[in-house]
Amino acid sequence: MLTIEHIKEILNDYTVNLRFHARGGQGGVTASNLCVEAFYGYGVCQPKFGAERMGSPTESYVRLSANADLVRSNEQVYGPHFVSVLDPSLLTEVDVTAGIPRGGWLIVNTEMDQLTIQDAVKRKDINIATIDATRIALDILGRNITNTIILGALIRVSHLFTLEELSDAIMKRFKGEVAGKNIQAIKQAIEETCIYDMGIDPDFTVDSKVPWQQVSLGLPGYKDLDKAGVWYCDEDVIPVGSDQVNTGSWGEWEILWDEETCTNCAQCWFICPDFATLRKLGDDGKYHMSGIDVFHCKACQNCLNICPVQAISKRLKQGPAACAAPEEGGN
Amino acid sequence: MSVEPMKLFFKEIKEPIETAMIGNYAVAGGVTQTDPDVICAFPITPQTQSVEGLSDVVHQGRLKAAFVNVESELAAISYSTAACAAGARTFTATASQGYLLMSEALPMAVGWRVPLTMMISARAFNAPNLSIWNSWEFVITDYGWNCIVSENVQETYDAAILSVMMSDNSLFPTMFVHDGFIISHSVQKLWLIPDEVVRKLTPRIPRHTITTERPGVWGGIVTPGFFMEGRMGLDIAKKSVLDVMKNSFAEFGKATGRHYKLIETYNLDNSSKTAFITMGSMCGNIISWMTKNKDIGLIKIRAYRPFPYEELQKIVQEHNIEKLIIFEKSDALNNLLPPFSTSIATALYPLKTLFRCFIVGLGGRDVTRDEFSVAKKKMESVNDMKGQLYMYLGVRETKDKIHGVNI
Repeated sequence: MLTIEHIKEILNDYTVNLRFHARGGQGGVTASNLCVEAFYGYGVCQPKFGAERMGSPTESYVRLSANADLVRSNEQVYGPHFVSVLDPSLLTEVDVTAGIPRGGWLIVNTEMDQLTIQDAVKRKDINIATIDATRIALDILGRNITNTIILGALIRVSHLFTLEELSDAIMKRFKGEVAGKNIQAIKQAIEETCIYDMGIDPDFTVDSKVPWQQVSLGLPGYKDLDKAGVWYCDEDVIPVGSDQVNTGSWGEWEILWDEETCTNCAQCWFICPDFATLRKLGDDGKYHMSGIDVFHCKACQNCLNICPVQAISKRLKQGPAACAAPEEGGN
Repeated sequence: MSVEPMKLFFKEIKEPIETAMIGNYAVAGGVTQTDPDVICAFPITPQTQSVEGLSDVVHQGRLKAAFVNVESELAAISYSTAACAAGARTFTATASQGYLLMSEALPMAVGWRVPLTMMISARAFNAPNLSIWNSWEFVITDYGWNCIVSENVQETYDAAILSVMMSDNSLFPTMFVHDGFIISHSVQKLWLIPDEVVRKLTPRIPRHTITTERPGVWGGIVTPGFFMEGRMGLDIAKKSVLDVMKNSFAEFGKATGRHYKLIETYNLDNSSKTAFITMGSMCGNIISWMTKNKDIGLIKIRAYRPFPYEELQKIVQEHNIEKLIIFEKSDALNNLLPPFSTSIATALYPLKTLFRCFIVGLGGRDVTRDEFSVAKKKMESVNDMKGQLYMYLGVRETKDKIHGVNI
């Protein structure tokens, strides 16, 4: 386990990097902001640059140090020593352990035990801490907002800042009762954090960035792209585009289709923004509805509303809630 | 619903406050404190939150300004220029394609000598692919606007106030630039300046305006008998702008304790007599990298337009710098060098300093210690100014090869 003295000494000459995994709306960015505000030295927080939508997986990064020059870098964070995961469903969807050096910490909001997590992320050289933040949030805050609570677990394993420093930062940001309840929840989280210590500490002095990582070797180079900016669907040259995005994991509803009731009017097919309504050419030469593409359906419910015969229905997804209520004030 | 970080600006700021926020909201706050009369901008990623934040302070009644919604960037700059000519303190903001769409009206703000201010969150042009991430699009065109470039959130917040001072005192429009996403969306700590100090720094100075008492023609047609005199008049007026900028920096430094210069230098008296020269967020990356590489220096350009030629020559001569490594986030499809490097090359022409330009970080690609160490190494073997003077760095040649780098 890291001690306060050790981490203070490290922070004088090196940076400590953090990463937060959450879903849009869960407040991962707010959590990383609070780290910067609570930390006594210098800090910078970067969200993963790009578009964020409610329920989509998000990442944000924090770089902390007592040396101002080290934090002055605007480079992205490549080797996070502490990774916090606010939604356990992300463990299988996103590579949450990417770049964590040996001895780094993975902090997960979950009721699973550490061995299950170790199996899920397939890493045996990192320490794991778990906290059932969702239960604490529902108990104390009355809604499933876990971003401040996971910071309690972070305090427990990292000693980057104290409960008092975090409380001050929270009081600046939230008012009255909300602040009080958040602080109470964090206190409880510090006590309830389960620690699975492998007995290895991260080596903060080693730069864990892989050289030229930012260049993404393995993708086509300029010599492979003979028609810059233009690529044809049958060539499959550039592995990006909305087709690749698992928008199906964003929503909290599951859309169900009833074949018996469906009249094949295709109104749902026209209105679907993600082409997630599937049709097949039948023997009669006509197209027939064949189901819903769950990988892309984000449960906007347009089809449900337009269906004239109620062949489409919805039900809450089983397992962890995919998406929390939006934060007050938004992100 | 209000924008949470903007709440700080809803009431009078009485003493310096330390806080943390993203670059765009910091700019919105800085602009709020300068008390503009007209805000007119069209949203475009990654500039959006600056206008969003300002709409909030206007909506809350904190700022008595006309918040004008328009249908495009061309309308935004046309409206802003006209409002500014009429005497209003005006702010607008844009990025990338929006800046291109503004092009038609950008020279007019210069020609009319209106003290307009504009924020730019630097973002790539859409060619050959659409990219919302950072490149230096603002260097490609130059219509005579003043331009200051910021490295971090503190600098871009300060620039929001500084550019009003510079515009008002030089009577040329000023744009202040930060790197899109890298600064516009990063949360960093910064100190806010008390409102009273900002008011003292940015007093209303009487200037020529459109009034009904004294009707006139603005931008009317002239014959060849007049046009050149107008252009040369602008050129003469532009000569004193660098001094105005210097004074603004000095006055700002006295009031806030944060001292900026046209060109900032770091560790120039080093053993290798070599220095990086660049601007924007990359300077921070280099400074962090320099904590472990002490045999190299950095020249950071803060005032990009007008380009401080004499200042740069003086620095290079005084410190006996033999080699310069230019890092630039824009490229040159037609030219010997990209635009920022061209300015530096022009300044270096009488000095015979050796230099090479490295084109990096286009479309938001991260610029890291890898690029810096390779550029430094490549520079060691440079002994003349022959051959191609620029090279791309951090580009995949094929699936397993990086252009110009052996790995």
